[in-house]
Amino acid sequence: MFDLELKINSWSDYLRSSGKLDEEDILELENHLREQIDELTAKGLSKEEAFLISVKRLGNINKISDEYSKVNTEDLWKQLIADPVDPAVSKKDRKNILIIIIFALLAGTAAKLPTFFGINIDNSIKYFKNLSFYLIPFITLYFIIKNKINKKLIVYITGIFAITALVINLYPSYKPNHTAILTGIHLPIMLWLVTGIAYIGEKWKTKEGRMDFLRFTGECFIYGSLIMFGFFVLMMFTSLIFQSIAIDIESFMENYFIFYGPSAAAMITVYLVETKKSIVENFAPVLAKIFSPLFLITMLIFIGTVIFTGNSPYLERNFLIGFDLMLVLVLGMVIYTISARKMYDKKGIFDYLNGILIFVAIIVDGIALSAIIFRLTEFGISPNKLAALGENVLLLVNLAGLLWLYINYFREKIEFSIIETWQTKYLTVYAFWMAIVIFIFPIIFNFE
Amino acid sequence: MDISKDLIAASATPLILGILKKEDSYGYEIIKIIKKSSDNEIIWTEGMLYPVLHRLEDKGFIESYWEKPESGRRRKYYFLKKKGKLELEKHKKQWEIVHATLSEQIYEDKDNVEKGEDENV
Repeated sequence: MFDLELKINSWSDYLRSSGKLDEEDILELENHLREQIDELTAKGLSKEEAFLISVKRLGNINKISDEYSKVNTEDLWKQLIADPVDPAVSKKDRKNILIIIIFALLAGTAAKLPTFFGINIDNSIKYFKNLSFYLIPFITLYFIIKNKINKKLIVYITGIFAITALVINLYPSYKPNHTAILTGIHLPIMLWLVTGIAYIGEKWKTKEGRMDFLRFTGECFIYGSLIMFGFFVLMMFTSLIFQSIAIDIESFMENYFIFYGPSAAAMITVYLVETKKSIVENFAPVLAKIFSPLFLITMLIFIGTVIFTGNSPYLERNFLIGFDLMLVLVLGMVIYTISARKMYDKKGIFDYLNGILIFVAIIVDGIALSAIIFRLTEFGISPNKLAALGENVLLLVNLAGLLWLYINYFREKIEFSIIETWQTKYLTVYAFWMAIVIFIFPIIFNFE
Repeated sequence: MDISKDLIAASATPLILGILKKEDSYGYEIIKIIKKSSDNEIIWTEGMLYPVLHRLEDKGFIESYWEKPESGRRRKYYFLKKKGKLELEKHKKQWEIVHATLSEQIYEDKDNVEKGEDENV
């Protein structure tokens, strides 16, 4: 006896097993199948005949589900139809390029401005503290314009920028300026997270929006480094050829390039990564896949060396800084790999690799934390140590949460999206910690 | 006569947008309309319609909603958005250009027919 329901169910189960369609997609296709079957049976065909014909007309299920995964990465139509050059789009693009050029010049000038008032940028603590304000507001403004951010959010974003600028400049700084230096280091991270609101727009609280911003951040880092490297090569080359005709352009470099170079590189990066998203998208995940095993190997060798040589990281301060930079980089890469992951990807070797990377990072973080606690008890509390302690605890919680969720994911207890939710929610914690270091640390430590 | 896959792929977007311009519709109905209005010449692999609809929705040309008719099962209806209308206009122009050029170059009969009519007058 032919059981139609059973057949339809096994058909849609097969579709489901590809993992590329969501329930709504499946229901839509299933309904199509049912309509077709109804129509054919109404014409006098048997249920079995109607089912076979309908399935045939819908086409090869593997191909359909492949199509879905392509739709989600937009690959399919890039192959089929090249997007025509849309005059409206290219006009808008020109406008954006113009804004980028103007903002790059403005940011460079903003950074240079203090030198006109006789401030020596090399040892002015105030200049260092304000460093992020010469660039990040322009990036934020670019996104506010480009994404047509609504008034309420603009008020919030500019409010945060204005209050922060006011407070950090009203705070005095006494030698040895530890808290001021901490402010200078933490400020760009906090402001960048605020920029994220402008980047994402109204959906800034959603997982998807934040994941997109994380991906954007990772790509900015990669491409920004490449562009800065390019600028550096250009600079070396320029001074080399000018030297050959006995003209020293060092003073030009010192007076202009160091201000306008980085601001231009940053603005170009932001523009490229955002506008040429689809081209960048194909390349950056490859980079992440190349580097995550390399980082894993480096960390393992590092831990091994620490154990076998007995060189304790407890006493040497630079050791600790190296540890923490490495941790941040590894966490950044883990998160970037998560964000570059396609929604419909199945579990693969790189997911396991990411899991191992997180595990090793936790060990490294454990070593770093014990070193900090040792230093705290041995040498007493200082702003640097307290900041490092806070950051390492934050990292540890972040990593431990990730590891826990990864394990559950491998055991097929949770969907991958839960990992993304955890990571994106955790961003808020970082923003708050940065704010604490910037606003509260100076008060606690008497602005020293 | 079989219409080539490339041509079907290229005409998919304007066809769907055109159908949705007239009224909101759902996948099965869209396929039926295309079959009917092409006298069964344009036959799609029906399942392939849905990824295309997905993509058009992603691009903001169309949007969907579920609706349950008084009798029968729930259907996912699609409707044309303003951006989709503009896109359709663009496609229309492109196809007009293609059609006009083809007419001029390869439909040799066209001249004769017109001449024939002239003579009758």
